[in-house]
This record gives sequence, C-alpha cells and structure tokens, in this order.
Amino acid sequence: MTTQRKAGLGRRSTLKLGVAGALAAPFLSQRAHAAGSVNVGVILPLSGANAQFGINARNGIQLAADQINAAGGIKSLGGAKINLIVADSTSTPTTAVNVAQRLLTQNDVVAILGAFVSTLTIAISEVTERRGIPLLTMSFADQITGRGFENIFQVVAKASVIGKAQFDDTLAIAAASGQKLERIAIMYEDTAYGTSQAGGLRTGAKNAGVQVVMDEAYPLGITDITPLINKLRSSGAQAVFPVSYLNDSLLIIRAMRQQGITIPAIGGAAGYVIPDFAKGLGEYAEGVLSINLSNYDLAPNLTKAFSDRFGYFMVHEALEHAVCMSVLAQAIENAKSTEPDKLRAALHAGKFTNGWCAAMTGGAVQFDSTGLNTLSVPVMVQWRNNELVTVWPADVAKAKPVWKS
Amino acid sequence: MIAAIQALLDGLMIGGVYAVISIGLTLVFGVMGIVNFAQAEFLMLGMFTAYYAWAWLGLDPLIAAPLAFAVVFVLGAAVHHLMIRRVLKAPEVAQVFLTVGLLIVLENAALLMFGSGFKSVATSYQTSALHLGPLFISVPYLAAFLMSVACGAVLWLFLERSWFGRAMRATAQNPMAAKLMGIDSDRMHRTAFALGVGLTAFGGAVILPYLTVSPTVGDQFVVLMFTVVVLGGLGSVAGAVVGGLAVGIIQSISGLLFPIQMQNLVLFVVFIFVLAIRPEGLLGRAR
Amino acid sequence: MKPALKYALIALALAVAVAVPFGLEPRGYATRILCLVLLFAAMAQAWNIVGGLANQMSLGHAAFFGIGAYGSTILLVKYGISPWLGLLPGMAAGGVAAWLISLPTMRLRGHYFALATLAFGEVMRLVANTWGGLTGGPSGISVPFSKPGLAVFQFKDMRPYYFLMLAALLVVTAIFAGIRHSKLGYRLRAIRENPSAAEAIGVDTTRTKIIAAVVSGALMAGLGTFYAQFQFFFDPDTVFSIPAISVRVAMIAIVGGVGTTIGPIVGALFLIPIEELANQTFSDQAAGLSQLVFGLLLIVVILAEPRGLLEIGRRLWRWRGRT
Repeated sequence: MTTQRKAGLGRRSTLKLGVAGALAAPFLSQRAHAAGSVNVGVILPLSGANAQFGINARNGIQLAADQINAAGGIKSLGGAKINLIVADSTSTPTTAVNVAQRLLTQNDVVAILGAFVSTLTIAISEVTERRGIPLLTMSFADQITGRGFENIFQVVAKASVIGKAQFDDTLAIAAASGQKLERIAIMYEDTAYGTSQAGGLRTGAKNAGVQVVMDEAYPLGITDITPLINKLRSSGAQAVFPVSYLNDSLLIIRAMRQQGITIPAIGGAAGYVIPDFAKGLGEYAEGVLSINLSNYDLAPNLTKAFSDRFGYFMVHEALEHAVCMSVLAQAIENAKSTEPDKLRAALHAGKFTNGWCAAMTGGAVQFDSTGLNTLSVPVMVQWRNNELVTVWPADVAKAKPVWKS
Repeated sequence: MIAAIQALLDGLMIGGVYAVISIGLTLVFGVMGIVNFAQAEFLMLGMFTAYYAWAWLGLDPLIAAPLAFAVVFVLGAAVHHLMIRRVLKAPEVAQVFLTVGLLIVLENAALLMFGSGFKSVATSYQTSALHLGPLFISVPYLAAFLMSVACGAVLWLFLERSWFGRAMRATAQNPMAAKLMGIDSDRMHRTAFALGVGLTAFGGAVILPYLTVSPTVGDQFVVLMFTVVVLGGLGSVAGAVVGGLAVGIIQSISGLLFPIQMQNLVLFVVFIFVLAIRPEGLLGRAR
Repeated sequence: MKPALKYALIALALAVAVAVPFGLEPRGYATRILCLVLLFAAMAQAWNIVGGLANQMSLGHAAFFGIGAYGSTILLVKYGISPWLGLLPGMAAGGVAAWLISLPTMRLRGHYFALATLAFGEVMRLVANTWGGLTGGPSGISVPFSKPGLAVFQFKDMRPYYFLMLAALLVVTAIFAGIRHSKLGYRLRAIRENPSAAEAIGVDTTRTKIIAAVVSGALMAGLGTFYAQFQFFFDPDTVFSIPAISVRVAMIAIVGGVGTTIGPIVGALFLIPIEELANQTFSDQAAGLSQLVFGLLLIVVILAEPRGLLEIGRRLWRWRGRT
C-alpha cells in the first residue's frame, strides 16, 4: 500500500488505511499465477435468464482447453498450459464490464472469450478495444464487427446474414420440393437478436419478391402467445419464420398445433436447435427446420467427445466457443508470444484449420479486417429422431431436406 | 367480429389464471400489510414441483397442483417464521427489500438445485383445441381456467364459511380487536402467508401444461401480478379476480388493436391511469 | 457529535477519497469498482430526496436515469453535441418526466406509489425498446469512440472518471443536505411526520413533494449521462432495468440508512463491493451461487436492523461507550 508510506498521517489514520487496505486486498492484483501457463478469460452469463447458454458455452471451452493441455499445451511457449479464468457476467452489461476489467487487471488474461449475449459482448468490447486485448466471440449482432474495432473476432456469420440465409435456404428447399413460396410470416422477440435477424429475413423476402403478410415483434417473456397465433392463422402465410428462444418456441409450435396450423415453421436458431426443444415437443419437433450457425453432425469425430462427457449433443454455442478457444490457441502458437500486438496480428493473419476449426463450415476460420470469419456460412438443420441433421446447403448436407407444405 | 369474440374468450381464460396466481399476493397484503416482491418466485417453485411430479411420478400437472400447493404452503410457513414475522413492525421500505432479498435467494437457489434449462411437460391435451364454429378454445387454457375457478371457489368457502377464514379476515380488518377476541395473530399471519404463496404455486402448476419453467420464469409474472392486484385493489380478494380478468382481456384485446409488442405498454398505461383516478382499485375500499 | 469533530471527520473522509486512487492501478479494476461505488452512491442520494425526505418509495427511478443516458447520447450520436452540453437537456427532460409522473401519483401513499413508479419505469423501457428510430431499439446505442479528453467526456484511464464521479457525488450530496436544511426540507419533514397536521398549518403537501421529485429526477438524469460516458454502450434493458437500477438505488439508500445524508454513501460502499466480491469468489464455481450469497447477505442486514447499516453502526458506538 503506497498510501501507507505517505508521511504526516497520524497513528490512527494509518491504522484506518491499514484496515481499508486489508478490505481492499481481494481487489488488488493477484499476479502470482502458475509459471508456464497462459491465462484466458471466459466471461459468460452463468446466472439469470441466459444461464443455460452460458453453461453450455463454458462446457465447450472447458473441453477444448482440456484437449489442448492434454496434447502438450502451447508448444511454441514451451508447453505452456491454458488456464481458464471463468467469470459470471450475469445478464447486466455493467457487471460484464466489471468482470472484464477484473480479468484484465488481476489475472493478466491474454484474451477474453464470450459472452454469448450480443449486448454483453458489445459492452465488453468497449473495454478490450481500449486495452488492445483480443475478444473472441460467437455473438452475432451486426454492430459487433460493424464499429471498426481491431480487437474483436467473431467466428460466425452476422445476424443479418443469418436471417437472410434463414429465408433464402427455405425458399430453395421449398423450390426443390416443387413449392413456390409467395406469402410468409415473420414473428420475433423484440431483443437485439430478434430484431436484427428479422431484418435479414425481410431483406431476403424483399429481394425474392415474396410478400411478408405478417411481421410482428412480441415482448420477450410473453405469457400468452395466443394473440400472435390468431394473427398468424388469419394472415394466410405459407410458411412462418419465428425467431425466439426456447420458451417462446415451444409456445409457438404448440399453439400452432392447437389451432390446426400446419404450415412449416422455420426457426431462427436459439430455441430451435437445443435438445430441450425436442424434449419439450416430442413428436411435434420431428421435421421442424431451423437455421443454425454450425452443427455438430458436420464433425461427428470432434463433437462426440462433448456428448460423451456432458451427456447431450454439442449445441452450437458450445461448439463455436470451443472454436474460439481453439483459434486462440493456434494464434498464440503462431505468434510464439502472448503480447497483445503480436497476438492480434496473428489472429488477423492466419487461416486456422487445426483442432475445432475443422467443425466450422468451410473447414477453417479466417478473419477479415473487421474481425469477421469470412468462411462461416449458416446451415439449415432439420429435426430427425431427436437429432439435428444438416440439410442445406447441398455441399455440406448430411441428408436431403423434407418439406411439407 | 369473430376475432374480437375470440380475443375476449382467450383473455377471459388467461385472466382467470392471472386471478388465481395473484390472489395470494393480495391476501398477504390484506392480512399483514406486506407487499411480497418474491411472490412470483413461489409460482416458479409451484411449477417446478409439478414438473418433478410429472417427471418422476408421472403425475399430470393438473393433478399435481394440490401437491404443489402443499409443498409451497409448508415452505411459506417456514419463510414467514424465519423472516417475514420479524419485519412486520419495521418500516415499509425494509419489508419491501426483505422480500427483494428473498426473490434473489429463491431464484438462484432454484438455479443451483434445478439447473438453468427450460423444462416443460408433455401431456395428451396440450396441443388440442375445442372448435365452437369459427372459435377455438385451447384445451390447456380451458383446463387451467377451470382449475383456477375451482380453486377460487374453495378459497371463497374457506374465507366466508370456516371459523379460521373468518378469524383471518377479522385480523385483516382490525388486528387489535381480533387479538382481544383471542385470535392468535401470529398464527393467522403464518397461515395467510403460507396460503397466499401456496395458491400462487397452485396457479403455477396448472399453467405448466402450456408454459415452460426455468428459475427466472418469475420475472415474466412479477409486474403482471402487481398490475392485477392494484387494478382490483390491494388487499381485496374479489378485486384480484376482477383485476385478473381485466388484465387478461386488456392484453388480449390490445393485441388486436396495436402491435403485440405494445401489449405490456398498453397494460401499464391503463394501470397508471387507473391508479391516478381510482387509487383504491376498481373494487377496493378506500384506505 | 460535536460540530468540530464532524467537520474534521468530513475533511478526513474527503482526503482519503482523494488519495485512494493514487494508491491503485489507474486503468484497473479496483478504480472502476470505486467509480461505480461513487456513481451508485450519488444515484441513491438523488433517490433519497424523494425516498427519504418526501418519504415516497419510488421504484421507478431508472426512468429518469435512462432518459438522461439516452438524452445526451442521442444528441451526441445524431448531432455531435458534447455530452457536457447534452447533460443539460437530459436533466431538463428528466425533471419534466418526474413532474409528469408525479402529477397523478404523488398523492398516492406507500405501496401504491411504489407500484405506480415501478410501472412508469417499465413504460419508459418499453418506449425506448419500441421507438427504434430514435434510440436504436433493443440493439442498444454506443457512444462513438473519440480521442480521449475532458472536452469529449471520454478517458482512457479510470482515474479521471473517479474524480468526476466523486464530484458528482459531492454535488448531489450537497443538494440533498441543502434541501434537508431548507424550508423545503422542513416542509417535507412535517409532511412525513404528520401529513394532515402539515396541511392544517398551510403546507401544500402535493406541490412540495412534486418539487422534491423534479429535483431528484433531474439529478438522476444527469447521472445517467455520467453512466453513458463511463460504460460507452447500453440498451433499454440496462438503463431502465428494475433490478439493476430502480431497485438497486433504493436498496443502497435503505441498507445504508434511508433519509440520512451519509446513508446512501455507506450503502454503496457496502453493497457494490460485496456484490463484486461474491461474483469474484463464487462465479467460477456453481452458477447462481454468487447471487445467492448476495441475496442472503441482504436479508441478514435487514433482519439485523431494518433501519440500515448506519443504525447498526450507531448501536455499536453506543455499546462501545458503555463498556
């Protein structure tokens, strides 16, 4: 404590400062981390409404890190081990920035991975950008790579691209089965995720000259979905594109069945591509299509380690966070250093093909100057027997799509 | 026209459910003067009880609803004994923030115990609907509505006809006089609190067939429940029924007139408006 | 306490407050947490004008906070107006909003007022979420990155923020203390002790409380601008949040000691670091544990002394005096 050494303070105030120092001790730097290890910060929502996704993501990162360490760590740094520092962002951006600041100051992390929710990721990026520390993410709101930041790296496509793919792929799948879509419905939660992806859907429909007969946002955590489904029923749409998390996705599909609405529902990832979707809907899940950012069946040899260890299939956020971890390790390997400047240069320069990168579409990860992975293409998946099968685009598909109009 | 009747019907059914989950809140306020911000967490606990009764014992949530009531009733009595009774004479702000603390504890304890996933049950009637000409009546909504009506009727009988219920109302109206008549006010408070959270848990169980449960499900209901009880008049059980139906119908009709995104906006504006012109609520007596 | 001792203690506390950041890493975490302590202390102090002096428990102060944050940031993003200038229209808007919501609600008592303000905060959040053209909607709004400096209200290090937050806290506290000892303060106290008696001696109770609400709302809006420039990015859910803003500022004032001048400061010094400590200690263990511990602590404090930490301190002081 430097304050204690200042002259001219009485015995009592010195004592007071001493007490304050003791109280503040946990907030001061704990630089004494194990020699020969690389600290990597992991910030995820581990409590609150998004906890489930945060925990899935943490599992993915943990798996990737354990594999890297078991294979001998970072070889160009003499076999240094990856040491994960995990912190709970909660659902509050203020807290997310607090923990980011903490990991940077106290744990000397070389990079941060996270934070699933776009608004949390954007908040954290304001700190990492000013400190020049790389932030690797699978959040995909358009602003993330749209602000000209140099230290952000996004391993998946942007929301507007995903939304457009959700529409374009559907149009193509329907056409391949002989149906020409003319009228569609869009419904989305009024969050950053919902609104930006709905924007992509709208663009896709506009470009294709397809009429959007219903375009409705609804409040997150809606307790009664019926008004929405009533509107859908009277809209005359031939297909519906819901963009929502699990709770709403179950409500939407069930309410559609109740009212005898049989038009295809093409989900917007999130709630439509997790095991609980099939668990909650049973037979009604069968055949539901959804866009996805990646899928575990594209690299079964890699993702099996996840299902063996955690007991459920490797959901996309776990997979993509594992990719973040893997990309970071390869960049450190290439940079032969954890210096922020060298690390950033290595991340921008490389085409990463090893480890988990092979599980991404394109089989690799490569960032452009904005930090966007240019090789990532969204895929269309379909529920078959409680598994997600990639059905589009044709060059990566594992099976032919089934379209019921 | 058909759309309006349909919306009215949907609103009525969901409103019945809102009434039952909110009666507990108004009961606790009426008897002990405490606004329980953690009330919606007991809804969540009721939903989880029903979920596990379904997952482990194979019980339908509608059948498990009394079980959810019983489990949460006992828990509520314990919470009252450990915490609530200690702040009955404390300033209002301390009471409110004790229940806020309870809210944080219950939500995160549930996260630790049950995990973060969204859980839902599968029942045979979940995706069926009755057709009345051009109108649809969702079977899970109808079931929840009927269960709520039954529960409300039993509560009404209890409060009006039983000695215990009358003693409880006496404590609410005039604690001093009730005490002089030999009514044990601590016992009344404990029962009222336990009953209040138990009723909310019952409501949680009956809505499970058409919703999902997760530790944060209470967040979706907390402001809604307050709206219901204030519209009806804080402390008035009959008011909660009127408030519940009003909220259900406002939500449903506003969905026809405005974008669904504005559903809650419309509700809260009505709420503030009602408070401004009639603070004692639609049915409440002036305090 | 003797006045001389009181002033000496205040001077000492100020000296410590000024010295502390020089003992800490300027860009670091501890300084940031202290900034938040100061900011939330100031917010709780602004709340205290309505919640403590006027005795109206508002649970909707996030409304004014968010108006200030959005006000200055929208002016900055759309018209390039410096946040220092944007602060003023933001505060004016906050004051006007407080006036508008007070008109129908100020005559409500206790829980009714609390719930009405809670709903008002939600209304503002929903408006910001829906009116995407102005606010950026649910995707949030970013303060544009510019070359740091006092003129643009952006700094690379945490230390300048610390002193700005400290200044904000001092200003709000001075206003609070000023009101408390002014005619307005006496009227408010008269209303709190006995509303009908106050009215009988000619105090216009509703008008007096509305004045307090307007001052409180304007200050809260000003602090919203400070937050925006400190955090650089926010969305409607963040600045209009019930748990993270509305409930928290009230909680800080209450845990510290509602209606007192140093209560909010004590509350912030206690709650913000505790929450961080809980997060730091438990968040890599089981999910939810850190929040659970935080909630339990809150319950324990309120059960131990419903009038807050200050009262606990006072009791300890008296107990010490006896032995």
